Amino acid sequence: MAQSALVNRHMPVVWRVAFRMLRDRQEAEDVTQETFLRAWKMLPDWEGRSKFSTWACTVAINLCRDRMKKKAPVLMETLPEREAGDLPPEQALHQKQAGARISALIDALPGRQKEALTLSALEGMGNKEAAAAMQVSVEALESLLSRARRTLRQALAEGQEE
Amino acid sequence: MRQTDMTDARVLQLLETYGAWPMAWPEEEREAAEARLAAHPERFADALAEAQLLDAAFEAEPMPEPDSSLAARILADAPQPRTARDSLGARLTRILMPNGQRWPAGAALASLGMGLFAGYTASASSVPATYETEAEAVVYAALGYDQYDTYLEEAPLDE
Repeated sequence: MAQSALVNRHMPVVWRVAFRMLRDRQEAEDVTQETFLRAWKMLPDWEGRSKFSTWACTVAINLCRDRMKKKAPVLMETLPEREAGDLPPEQALHQKQAGARISALIDALPGRQKEALTLSALEGMGNKEAAAAMQVSVEALESLLSRARRTLRQALAEGQEE
Repeated sequence: MRQTDMTDARVLQLLETYGAWPMAWPEEEREAAEARLAAHPERFADALAEAQLLDAAFEAEPMPEPDSSLAARILADAPQPRTARDSLGARLTRILMPNGQRWPAGAALASLGMGLFAGYTASASSVPATYETEAEAVVYAALGYDQYDTYLEEAPLDE
């Protein structure tokens, strides 16, 4: 069935984008369901519109932004520190810890940078599609990405020096 | 983009923006940037190493997955697609039992079907020129007379 194929193909990406923005599985599910509810209404008149993945991510991102407005902002000062029980530096690249560390660092990025990084680096979207999903220019997307990566590089380097 | 149009500054910008993996670079610049990188690796070594380090960190980032029941819940909200052509049996059932299958109605249908079939096989072999009732016509269609099937094709019967 076409609907099933559409959901199987695009739902995981929409959910991951929402989850990475909100860091809450239930809220990410709510956003994903709302995105597809809107899709079911739109699909009969879909002709000539953008790629479904772009449209779905745009809707999901906007829904996430609305929800995040209601939450307290996460400031860079609250960037999580390495815990005392962490492994010594020579073992710091252990996969699990490295994953948790980079997740925490990405979470602490400003919202737009996190969106850009999620779509481009983590979900593998092309620059034009990611920019369209965020409703910004490619130049703006590149600016967000380079700032995000610079912040992450610095934070990782500081983590290595500790 | 022509390779002569690619600059060192842009290659560095691509590394800083999109990382070390060329597939992540804009498609129209990829070939030219890769060529410049290959031609002058020493100019980009530091930026490349930094980008690779961050890419490796992204690789370590756990890929979250949605709950396995989410797809079913989303599909439950989806509108039911109109079927282009139901099976003849389904259409027959819907015409004769618009309120759903019930045993008395089912028995009546069976009786009607058997009666019509017996009458048909025992008497004249010609098809009546006109069908008296919708039910009778459907049964004739079920028996292989395409005239009524054409009607069903042209007028899909929705609830």
